[in-house]
Amino acid sequence: MMWALAWRLARRELRGGLAGFRVLILCLALGVGAIAAVGLLRAAIQGGLADQGGVLLGGDAQMHFTYRFASDDEKAWMGEHALRVSEIVDFRSLAVAGEDPALTQVKAVDDAWPLIGAVGLQAGTLAQAFAPQGGMPGGVMEKILAERLGLKVGDTFKLGNQTFRLGAVLLREPDSATAGFSLGPRTLVRTADLAQSGLIAPGTLYETDYRLILPAGADLDALQKAAETAFRDKGMTWSDKRNAARGVEKFVDRLGSFLILIGLAGLAVGGVGVASAVRAFMAARVATIATLKVLGAQGALVLRVYLIQIAVICAIGVGLGLVLGAGGLIAGAPLLVKLMPFPVAIGLYPAPLVQAAFYGMVSGLLFALWPLAQAVRQRVTSLYRGTAERVWPKPAHLVWMGALLALFVGGAVWFSGNASLALGTLGGVFAALAVLAAAGLGVKHLARAAARLGFVTGRPALRWALAAMGGPRSEVQAVILSLGLGLSVLAVVGQIDANFRAAIARDLPAKAPSFFFMDIQDAQLAPFDALMTGNPAVTQVQTAPMLRGILTQINGRKARDVVGDHWVVTGDRGITFSDTPPEGTTVTDGAWWPKDYKGPAQISFAATEAAEMHLNLGDQVIVNILGRDIAATITSFRKVDFSGAGMGFIMAINPAAVAGAPHSSIATVYAAPEAEADILRQASDTFPNITAIAMKEAIGRAVEALSAIATATVLAAGAVLVTGLVVLVGGAAAGVPARMREAAVLRVLGATRGRVLASFALRSALMGAAAGAVAMGAGALGGWATLRLVMDLPYRFEMWSALSVVLGGMLATLAAGVVFAWAPLSARPAAVLRQAE
Amino acid sequence: MTTVLDLQDVHLRLNGNAGAVDILRGISLAVTAGESLALIGPSGSGKSSLLMVMAGLERATSGRVSALGQDLTRLDEDALARFRRGNMGVVFQSFHLIPTLTALENVAVPLEIAGEADAFARARTELGRVGLGARAGHYPSQLSGGEQQRVALARASVSRPKLLLADEPTGNLDAANGAAIMDLLFDLRDAHGATLVMVTHAPDLAARCDRVLKLADGLLA
Repeated sequence: MMWALAWRLARRELRGGLAGFRVLILCLALGVGAIAAVGLLRAAIQGGLADQGGVLLGGDAQMHFTYRFASDDEKAWMGEHALRVSEIVDFRSLAVAGEDPALTQVKAVDDAWPLIGAVGLQAGTLAQAFAPQGGMPGGVMEKILAERLGLKVGDTFKLGNQTFRLGAVLLREPDSATAGFSLGPRTLVRTADLAQSGLIAPGTLYETDYRLILPAGADLDALQKAAETAFRDKGMTWSDKRNAARGVEKFVDRLGSFLILIGLAGLAVGGVGVASAVRAFMAARVATIATLKVLGAQGALVLRVYLIQIAVICAIGVGLGLVLGAGGLIAGAPLLVKLMPFPVAIGLYPAPLVQAAFYGMVSGLLFALWPLAQAVRQRVTSLYRGTAERVWPKPAHLVWMGALLALFVGGAVWFSGNASLALGTLGGVFAALAVLAAAGLGVKHLARAAARLGFVTGRPALRWALAAMGGPRSEVQAVILSLGLGLSVLAVVGQIDANFRAAIARDLPAKAPSFFFMDIQDAQLAPFDALMTGNPAVTQVQTAPMLRGILTQINGRKARDVVGDHWVVTGDRGITFSDTPPEGTTVTDGAWWPKDYKGPAQISFAATEAAEMHLNLGDQVIVNILGRDIAATITSFRKVDFSGAGMGFIMAINPAAVAGAPHSSIATVYAAPEAEADILRQASDTFPNITAIAMKEAIGRAVEALSAIATATVLAAGAVLVTGLVVLVGGAAAGVPARMREAAVLRVLGATRGRVLASFALRSALMGAAAGAVAMGAGALGGWATLRLVMDLPYRFEMWSALSVVLGGMLATLAAGVVFAWAPLSARPAAVLRQAE
Repeated sequence: MTTVLDLQDVHLRLNGNAGAVDILRGISLAVTAGESLALIGPSGSGKSSLLMVMAGLERATSGRVSALGQDLTRLDEDALARFRRGNMGVVFQSFHLIPTLTALENVAVPLEIAGEADAFARARTELGRVGLGARAGHYPSQLSGGEQQRVALARASVSRPKLLLADEPTGNLDAANGAAIMDLLFDLRDAHGATLVMVTHAPDLAARCDRVLKLADGLLA
C-alpha cells in the first residue's frame, strides 16, 4: 500500500526530468562501464583459452622435462597411451650471422610437429623451409630477429657449430601462448639438424616437451594421475588442454580481479559524487518534503518516494555504464583480437554484466541512503526555514546501510573468488577514503589557520581563497576525496615505476655483469677464462659449475607441503658444487664441508630463503637432479645477494655428491659497456656452443613486461581519476550559485572581476594542490611499502613523478574552477542579489 | 549644498522571461551631501532598482547617473567597482554576507580590497561599534538575522563612505531588531556625516529621514 502510493508520487516527481542528476548518472556509468569492460575482457580471454586449449598446448596433453630427454620408460608410457607423440626441445642460444650474434629462443621440433594447428610463415610451408639446400638444413626465424641480424630468406646463420639457411620468416607459432617469458625471439629448426651443433650436450640447459594426441574420450584425470605417480619425482611436469595456458589464465585472472577492484575504487569515488548529487537533489526538494509532511506523510513514505526515484536514476546510470562498457569492448574487438597474443572470444557474457550492474546498484544506493535518510528526518519547520539540522539517520536506516555495505563487500569477495585480494583491496580503498577524509579535514584546518597569518595581509585574493577552503561550505574535503584516490593510485604506480627505472639506469650498470655465459663445457673453462681475462676491457670474470635440480622433500615430507608456494620449490633451481666456499661467500651459520669430502651429501643453503622456509641446520632434504634423487643434509647457510643480478645459487652441494652428473658452467663477465659488442663477437666466434645473455637487454625485456602491468594499472587508475573529475566538475557546477552570490557581494564592495577571478582560481589551484600533496604522501608511502616490504628493494623518493601528480591535481581543479567561474564573473551583481532576496 | 547624487531622466528596462519590462521610466532627482532620503512605494514600483542604479550595480538603459561628481554611466564594470571602494556602502535586506568568512573577515573585506594595512584592526573597532565585538569569529550561519544585519552595517560603514545606500535594511527583521538596526544606521550616518538613501516600506522609518520620495510604477509620484 505504502509502496504503491510512494511509486505514484515518485512517478509524478520524475516527470520533471533528469536535470540535476547528470553527475550521479555519469559517476555510476563510468564506474560500471569500467568494471563491465574489464570483466567482459577477462571472460573473453578465458573463453578463448578454453575453446582453444588443445591448439594452445599443441596437443591433448604434454609431458615436460628439464635438461633431459624422456627416458625409455617414459617414452614407452607415452607410446602406450597416446595415438601420436611429438618431441620438442627448447633452449636459449646465440644465432650468429657473419660476425653478429643475437640471443634467440630455439625450438627444435620433429617431423610430427605441430600436432594441432598450423605454423604461419611469410611464404611456403614448414617442410619447404626446413628442407636442406646445398647440404645446409633450413631454419625459420621471427621477423624481428632476422631483421636484427640483417638476414633475408636464403641467407645463412649459425646455431652453435651448425650452419643453417634461413628458409622462411615466422609469423605465428600455434602453441606460442604456452611458452613462458622468453629473453629472445624465436628460431625454429629440426632437432635432427642440431646433431652437429654441439648445443644439446649433457649438462646444457634445455627443456623438452612431449606433446600427445590421445584417443577420443581419454580420461585426462586418470592419465595425469598415472603419469605423475610414475614420473613426477623424476622431474616430469604434466599439463593438458584443460589448462593449456595455465600461466596466462592465472595471470589474466589475477590481473582482471585486481583491475575490477580498482574499478570498485572508482565506484567508491563515484559514490562521493552520488552522495553530493542526492544531497543537492534533496535540498531542492525541501519544500515538497515539508509540504508532504504537513499533509500527513510519514518519514517512511517520504523516504520511499525518494528512494524509488533515486533507484530509477541509479538504474539509468548502471544501464548506461553497461552499454558503455560492453559497447566499448565490442567496438575495440578487432584491435584487441589483433593485439592479444592468445585467442580471445569477445561477446556479451552475462556474468560480468550482472556483476558490474550489481556493484553499480548497490554502491549507488549505499551512498544515496545517508543523505536521503538525513533529509527525511528534518523537522518541518527547519525544512521551511531552509536551514538543515544536523541529524543522524534513524537506527533502522543505519542497519539498511550496514546491510548494503555487507552485500557490497560480500559480492566483491564472491565475484573475485579471492577473499584476501578482495578484502585487502576494499579495506585499502575504505582506509584510503578515511585517510583522505581526515587529510581533507586537516587541510581545511590548515587553510583556516593560514588565512589568519601575517603573510596573507595585503593579499586579499589569497586570504579569501584560504578562508573559503577553511570555512563552512568548504569544498576542500570533497575535492581531496574525489581526486585523491585516483591520484594516489597514480602516485604509487609512478613511484614504483620511477624507482624501477632509476634503479636500472643508476644502480644496475654499476652492479650487474655485462653478460651471463651459459653452457660452458669443462674443457672450455680454461680457454674461456683466458680469453676473457686477456681482454683489458674486462674487469672481472666469475665462473661456477651449475646443475639444475628440484627440491622435492624436506625432512621426509613433500617440500610443497612444508613451505607452500615459496618460489624456491615451485620449479628447478640452479645448484653449484665446490670443494671450498666460492670467492666472496660468507657462511652465516654452520660450516662448509672439508676439502675432498666424500661422506653423505651436504648442502649449503641461501640464508634469507632458508629463514623464510624455516629451514634449520641438520634438516634432511631431497633434491632431484636430472631425474636422480640426492638426499642431503643442510650443514651451512650462506649470504647470497640476488640484487645485483650477478651469480647467486640457492643451493651449493659437495662435489662428490654429484660426481659424474653431466653439467656445464656459467660465467659472469663484467666489462666496460663500450667493449661489450666486441666481447660478444669474440666469445661466439671462439665458442659457438656457448650462449651469452646481455644483462642490460634482458633486464630491459623484464622491465617491458612489468611496464605492461603498470600500464594496465594506470589505465584503471585513469578510470578512477576520470570519475573523480566528473565528481569535481559536478561539485564545481553545483557551487556556481554560491560563487555567483560571493562574486556579486565582492563586486559591490569594490573588488574588480580580475581580483575575484584570482581568488576563485587560487582557491581551485590550492585545493587541487592539496589533493595532489595528499596523493604524493600516499604515493611515497605506498611506493616505499611495496618496494621495501614486499619486494625487498631500496626505495628513493622520486621527486619528478611526485610533482607531476601535484601539478596534475592542480591543473584539473584549476580548469574546473576557472570554467565554472565564468558565469559568476559575467553575471550582473544587481541581478544576482535581486534573485537572492 | 553639494550634490552627491544626481540622476537625470533615468530609464531602466530589464529583460525577463516574460519579455522586456520598464522598471524606471524617467527618474530625475538630486541628493545633497549629508541628507537622508527615504524611497517608499508599493512592491514592484522600482525602489530597489533605483537604489541599484545609484550604486552602479544596475546600468541605466538611458539617462545620466552621477555620484560624487562621477558619471557612473561612463564607467565599465571594474571602474564602477573601484569607484564604490571608499565612496559607497550598501546594505541589503538579505544581508549578503559571505558565508565562508567570519563576521570580522566580512567587515574587513572592503578595507582589504582598498589595500588598507590596518584592515582588521579597523574592522574589529567597527564590529565593536555595532555591539558584536564578542562575535567576531562567528560565521554568518552562526548569527541571528539581526546580528547578520549589524555585521552588514559595520561592513558598509567601515571604509567611511560618503554615500550609504540601504535596501529595506529591516525587511527581514522583527520590530525590535528592526528598530535597533535603524538606530545604528542613523548613528553611523551621523557619526561619519554620510549621505543616506534608504528604501523602505515602513512609514515610521521613512519619517526619520530628511526627505521622503514616493515611487509608483517607475516614476516619482
